[in-house]
Amino acid sequence: MNRNYIYLTILMLVLAVGTVLVNNEPKLKQIEPQQLLVEMVQPTRYVTTDQVAEMMIHGDPSLEIVDVRSAAEFEKFALPKAVNIPLDSLINPSNLSYFGIPGTRVVFVSNDDIAADQAWVLTKRLGYKSTYVMRGGLNCWMQTIIDPQEPGENEPSLAFETYTFRKGAQQYFTGAQAEAPEGAKVKVEVQRRKKTSVAAGGC
Amino acid sequence: MNKHHSKNSEPKYINPYLGGVLLGLLVLVTVLITGRGLGASGAIKSTVVTTAHVFTPEQAKSNAYMNKFISDDHSPMYTWLVFETLGIFLGGLLSGIVFGRVKKLRTEHSPKITSKTRLIFALIGGMLFGIGSQFGRGCTSGAALSGTATFALGGAVVMFAIFGTGYAAAYFFRKLWI
Amino acid sequence: MCPLIPNGIIGTGWDFVIALILGIAFGFILEASGFSSSRNIVGVFYGYNFVVLRVFFTALIVAMVGLLYFSYFGWLDLSKIFILPTYLIPMIVGGVIMGIGFIMGGFCPGTSFTAVAIGKLDGIVFTIGLYLGIFVFTEAYPLFGDFYNSGDLGNVTITDAFGIPASWVAMAFTVVALAAFWGTSLIEKRVRKNRSEYKF
Repeated sequence: MNRNYIYLTILMLVLAVGTVLVNNEPKLKQIEPQQLLVEMVQPTRYVTTDQVAEMMIHGDPSLEIVDVRSAAEFEKFALPKAVNIPLDSLINPSNLSYFGIPGTRVVFVSNDDIAADQAWVLTKRLGYKSTYVMRGGLNCWMQTIIDPQEPGENEPSLAFETYTFRKGAQQYFTGAQAEAPEGAKVKVEVQRRKKTSVAAGGC
Repeated sequence: MNKHHSKNSEPKYINPYLGGVLLGLLVLVTVLITGRGLGASGAIKSTVVTTAHVFTPEQAKSNAYMNKFISDDHSPMYTWLVFETLGIFLGGLLSGIVFGRVKKLRTEHSPKITSKTRLIFALIGGMLFGIGSQFGRGCTSGAALSGTATFALGGAVVMFAIFGTGYAAAYFFRKLWI
Repeated sequence: MCPLIPNGIIGTGWDFVIALILGIAFGFILEASGFSSSRNIVGVFYGYNFVVLRVFFTALIVAMVGLLYFSYFGWLDLSKIFILPTYLIPMIVGGVIMGIGFIMGGFCPGTSFTAVAIGKLDGIVFTIGLYLGIFVFTEAYPLFGDFYNSGDLGNVTITDAFGIPASWVAMAFTVVALAAFWGTSLIEKRVRKNRSEYKF
């Protein structure tokens, strides 16, 4: 047999085996139900309104607030720099590009924390890491940040520290709202994952 | 005819593996550009629909199969596959000219049968292929080659059905060829 | 970024020019490989000439493996390419009919066009047969329309149907094809030894 054919045969075999080696990653990484359950019963996914407020005040670039309420509710009131992805369109491929960016933490926000929790389960199910839920949702945000209650006299000093912070945060947020009136919405600049490595050149 | 002579009269075809690699790259390029593979039988279908539409427009429109391919804004001939098939013809002509195979009309057949027999079987074979290609949603190029290359289940089914049947039936038609 | 036309990178106005160019390349390769000769083609069924098997399976594995690499490098979106729909039983029946037509007529549609181009009368008659066959099919369609549309599995791939990853499918086809190339070259040698009078 012609020796060239042997070389060609080997080349073709190597290329074919190569496809197996490079394409063995599953298309959609879903996590196991057991693992999902473990993560669900742990409260680590919750962040408090105070933590969110603090990160916002410090302009933490890794924070990304995703509002899962409907667009109409989002129009009425929303946290600054929040992105609106209604729950029913959460798993649209274009919306999924907000998640799973290395170095960012996605915090889901809804009126209470039920819808946000559902969104969290969905993204967990799809295998995205570092997604969180703002505990108590916007209702809690209103009570704690926008309208904080002064602690009673016998409360520990920690409560007073929190109150001081909340008072400051209240001024920050409500003051900021007064400066930039409704309607003049700041153009939100949000990080999005780059479309799957479309290499330059190619075909 | 001695062996030496028959060797010399073998037409010059390109190496089949080279042809295969080129064809494979062509299928690849076609998928990359158009998102679908090559085809051949679709153009004949367009021709059938067009002629039926021209001669008996009412009947063609009432035909449950044809009316899928008839639209009012353009002729069924104005489709991708028709132009591609025109290209197949031109490409064949080009290759024939390059390798010196374009000659006057002739029929190729086994010495054991007459030209007439060959042509009758070619007609029947063509008819069967035409009918089968509709059930199979494509012929050897559209379904078996391009379909299987894009990992379509149907393509592989058609490919194995065609070649399997070819081998199963080969014995009964051996006089036509050897 | 690929496929180019479905992704709108090449405008649809270029469709037919591209179709013509791709068709010319297709016809050239078919004719140059010897597919304009019916006795060449059917040799695959009698063991004296396996050119069909060589060209067909080489093309198949090159295209399959190539598609996977283009998809891996992110140049091609495999979810955007057309997947032939599967109608299981009608397709098997169609394949069987085509197989018999193949062995009787000695051509398949694409190859018959190249045979017409170089002046083969049997190619012309086969093409007329194709036309008549499809005409008969369309006229008789009401009789078997239900059967024609039965067993619709949708646009499924081998991966969808059996859960085998595409890369394994490609590798299996490659291994089988390479083995077949080697095996058939031995068969061809033996058959040709007994057929010194064979002429293409």
